[in-house]
Amino acid sequence: MKTKYLQIFSLSLTVFYGFFILWLYWAEPKSLEDVSVKAKETIESATTKGEIIIGTYEVDKEKFAQGLQAFRSDNFILARDLFERADPERRDARTQFYIAYSFYRQGWGRVSNDDALFRQGLEQVNRVVTLDKNFRATDENLKLQTPVELKNEFEEGLKVTADDFNPFRILRERK
Amino acid sequence: MQKDKEQTEETAVGNDFQIVEGEILEVSSGEEIEPFAEEETKISIKKQRTKDKGQRANTKIQIQYLLLPLIFLTVTLLGGWRLSLEDNAFIFLKPPLVCLIFAVMLLALFLRAKLIRLEGWFSEDFTLLQNIANAAVLLTLFTASAQIFNSLLPEQGLPFWVFAFCFLWTLWTNLFSVFDTKRLLQSLGSLFGFAFIAKYLVLSYMTAPVSESWWRGILQNPTQEFFTWLFDLPRFAVGTGYIQFFAIVLYLIGLYLLPPVAMKSED
Repeated sequence: MKTKYLQIFSLSLTVFYGFFILWLYWAEPKSLEDVSVKAKETIESATTKGEIIIGTYEVDKEKFAQGLQAFRSDNFILARDLFERADPERRDARTQFYIAYSFYRQGWGRVSNDDALFRQGLEQVNRVVTLDKNFRATDENLKLQTPVELKNEFEEGLKVTADDFNPFRILRERK
Repeated sequence: MQKDKEQTEETAVGNDFQIVEGEILEVSSGEEIEPFAEEETKISIKKQRTKDKGQRANTKIQIQYLLLPLIFLTVTLLGGWRLSLEDNAFIFLKPPLVCLIFAVMLLALFLRAKLIRLEGWFSEDFTLLQNIANAAVLLTLFTASAQIFNSLLPEQGLPFWVFAFCFLWTLWTNLFSVFDTKRLLQSLGSLFGFAFIAKYLVLSYMTAPVSESWWRGILQNPTQEFFTWLFDLPRFAVGTGYIQFFAIVLYLIGLYLLPPVAMKSED
């Protein structure tokens, strides 16, 4: 074999083997079977990132529809899971808004709110603002149509005020 | 003519032992060599020598560009590989920063002891491809060196700092000692061997096995539990020691095969 070809082969070997090692240390598979699972995940993630770069990234419409159905039937945990799978790169403002809204609806209580869920919701709604400042939901079933309104609900829910002890609070409605 | 023959013989002895054997057979026949036959013998010797040289150079180039990167990258892969004690699951430990520093010091030591001569690996006379290919080989040597330290250093706690200090002390003092290549390899072999025994035999013997509860562990293996707690020893499966043993052996083989000067390409 000519030395030139040997050097090219050596370089390719070093690059491929080197990347494989880097990937192993990055993905940290737990077993040999896990190697193929992690490889599949990496390829899917790389494909999605490639779609983002070339501008063809889209949410999984089927999963989004299933998520919406779960959201409307008050199954918020399933809804969040489906929304997250529909938008794995967290790029779609509408999907992220629904995730934030699911935290609100699940955490809302007539007497008291679930602070942990409200905090997560607040974090999530901030992501929606980062993605699209002017986002407005088109779903008429949602009483809070913008991230700002939703954010206000989260912030008010997390504060302890004199109003919290008003007995008429139990008459309020979930938005 | 006899004088010429003797001279040829002497030259052959000086250059190549295999050719000398052939030549002696020719002479021992006792027959008078005609000038034409002598010329033919010379040509055949020259051809044989060129062929041998070419073959040897080919093997060396193959070792340099195929075997060495393969060995060093395998060491890079194995160096941080551990198996968990509970279920033999793979654990890939990234090298801590100190390993990279030690690897740099080790490469400096290689340069000082002439195990590697930089001017023989990079040159303006080489083609760009050759320079890049040589750089890739040396890069794999660096990553393997870092991972060898990752393999030999305990993962955490007091032993990590004790081992790290010992390595630093040894490398630092070696940097200012007079070394030849053979002695450097012997010294590294003994250093790595000692560290391997200390970590994978002594410390692993002190590590308590996984027990169902803390109390049961204390009752069953009080001394091992005490040392595990005191030194913050990680619990790895026995297979880890075997993997690391092969990593160290491979690394030393790689160093033995590493030429001080890169082979020049013929084309």
